[in-house]
Amino acid sequence: MNQIASQNAPSPKVVVPHFVFGALTWLVVTILIIFHPEAFTQHYFNAELLAITHLLVLGWITMIIFGALYQLLPVIMEVKLYSETLAKISFLLMAIGTILLSVAFWQFSFGTLMHIAGVFIVISVGLFVANVLHTAHSSNKNVIERTFIVSSVIWLLFTVLAGLTLAINLSHPFLKVSHVELLKLHAHAGLVGWFVQLIIGVSSKLLPMFMVSHHVNTKKLNFSFYAINIGLPIGIVSLYMQYKIGVVFSAIMVVAGIVAYLSFLLASYKKRVKKQLDIGMKQSALSFLFLVIPLFLMFTLLLNIDFLNRLTLPLSVAYGSSIVIGFITSLVMGQTYKTLPFIVWLKVYQGKVGKVILPLPKDLYSEKLAIVQVWLFAIGFGFLLIGISATNTTLVMVSGILLLLSVALYNLNILKIVLHKPTNK
Amino acid sequence: MDTEEMKILEMLKPVIDPELMVNIIDLGLVYGATFDAPGRQIDVALTLTSPGCPMGGIIIEDAQQTLESNYPGFNVNINLVWEPAWSIERLSAKGKAELGFS
Repeated sequence: MNQIASQNAPSPKVVVPHFVFGALTWLVVTILIIFHPEAFTQHYFNAELLAITHLLVLGWITMIIFGALYQLLPVIMEVKLYSETLAKISFLLMAIGTILLSVAFWQFSFGTLMHIAGVFIVISVGLFVANVLHTAHSSNKNVIERTFIVSSVIWLLFTVLAGLTLAINLSHPFLKVSHVELLKLHAHAGLVGWFVQLIIGVSSKLLPMFMVSHHVNTKKLNFSFYAINIGLPIGIVSLYMQYKIGVVFSAIMVVAGIVAYLSFLLASYKKRVKKQLDIGMKQSALSFLFLVIPLFLMFTLLLNIDFLNRLTLPLSVAYGSSIVIGFITSLVMGQTYKTLPFIVWLKVYQGKVGKVILPLPKDLYSEKLAIVQVWLFAIGFGFLLIGISATNTTLVMVSGILLLLSVALYNLNILKIVLHKPTNK
Repeated sequence: MDTEEMKILEMLKPVIDPELMVNIIDLGLVYGATFDAPGRQIDVALTLTSPGCPMGGIIIEDAQQTLESNYPGFNVNINLVWEPAWSIERLSAKGKAELGFS
């Protein structure tokens, strides 16, 4: 018999803690938004926003991606994960490092605490990257999805190393370029190099699989890979050298790559066998609609339109928020319903067929709660964007309350899935 | 296909693909079944919608358990096959309706 993907799945003990930590971190962030809405209405280099951003990108999104990837690498590459021990150590270091880093940012102290946090995070990422590269190396599936994933983890390593360099530069300045410009470089390496590429690599395998779309041409993904991996380094160097034309050229290349990927997804959607989308796929679809917002804002900011000059700072915060909270968070929340129920379901029911009542993976969570969660999220995100653009703290606070309610429902569903027990026949 | 093999396919109808929520017969995942009464052996050729399908293990286990409980004392082999690759043409009319095809 051919080897099947579920035989390669890692222990849920490796995967599930990432989801729980991530979901709780997102909950904490919404509370911080309610009590500190001013974080979103000042210059983006402020203590609260830096702390919130790092909680979001490391504690919430990266954490969930790590966990999901340990489960999905065997599906994509059709081999076992290289090491579960490395994954567990990486989780602990990332969890501690993220908490310490956020505390250091919140106190706006760039000393020893921040350096220790940075080292924890760099080691955690180093172990994660080693695990992914070893796993990829043992696979003979030389597909574009694998290339994207390998490239994305290398960009993650670059991002955290750049972050640690910035942290050291804050206490012991040695770089000649303005810190705010270096922050843009660090942020885009992470947002595009790590998140966007990882999302493309994983989703271009999983979304067609979930929709059962066959014979979708992957040539567009090849173009997307080269466009992003040529455009992004040009952008990074241009940001460092303060070379505006290079930044604009880089943006055009990266956006062309993202558009090619979206075109691939649209082709998959049109060829889908499963016509009805479940709630997880609907929220994922919503996230791709949200992606239009940062693409539009990016060119608005790059064009330096005169009458928008006084809005540059709020629009910059709106740009970052629409990528991290709008696009990526929405996608992660949606895909949680496509991955976590399956992980737990497989653990609970494999080997027990016939002995217990077999539910569907979607029966492990409440769909009603998930629907309300998606609506609260969409409205909350809308309020957040308007609040940021209008520099109105009340609107940001309202958005925080709506997002908190949404994330509370999301956490309830996570808890329901994780604590699921089988019913005997 | 003889009557016993038709019966086997009918018995496999409660086995569903947990992601698509359609049974494996209407999805066209079962390519054939052979029933060897003297040898007390049942062989089923089964495919999945995608080689990476993470639901494969449970689908096979469910099919195996279903046949073993209906044919006590028989050796049941569920053989996973990839040729010919599964395609949309293998869906039954009922399967298409359940997936939302107009």
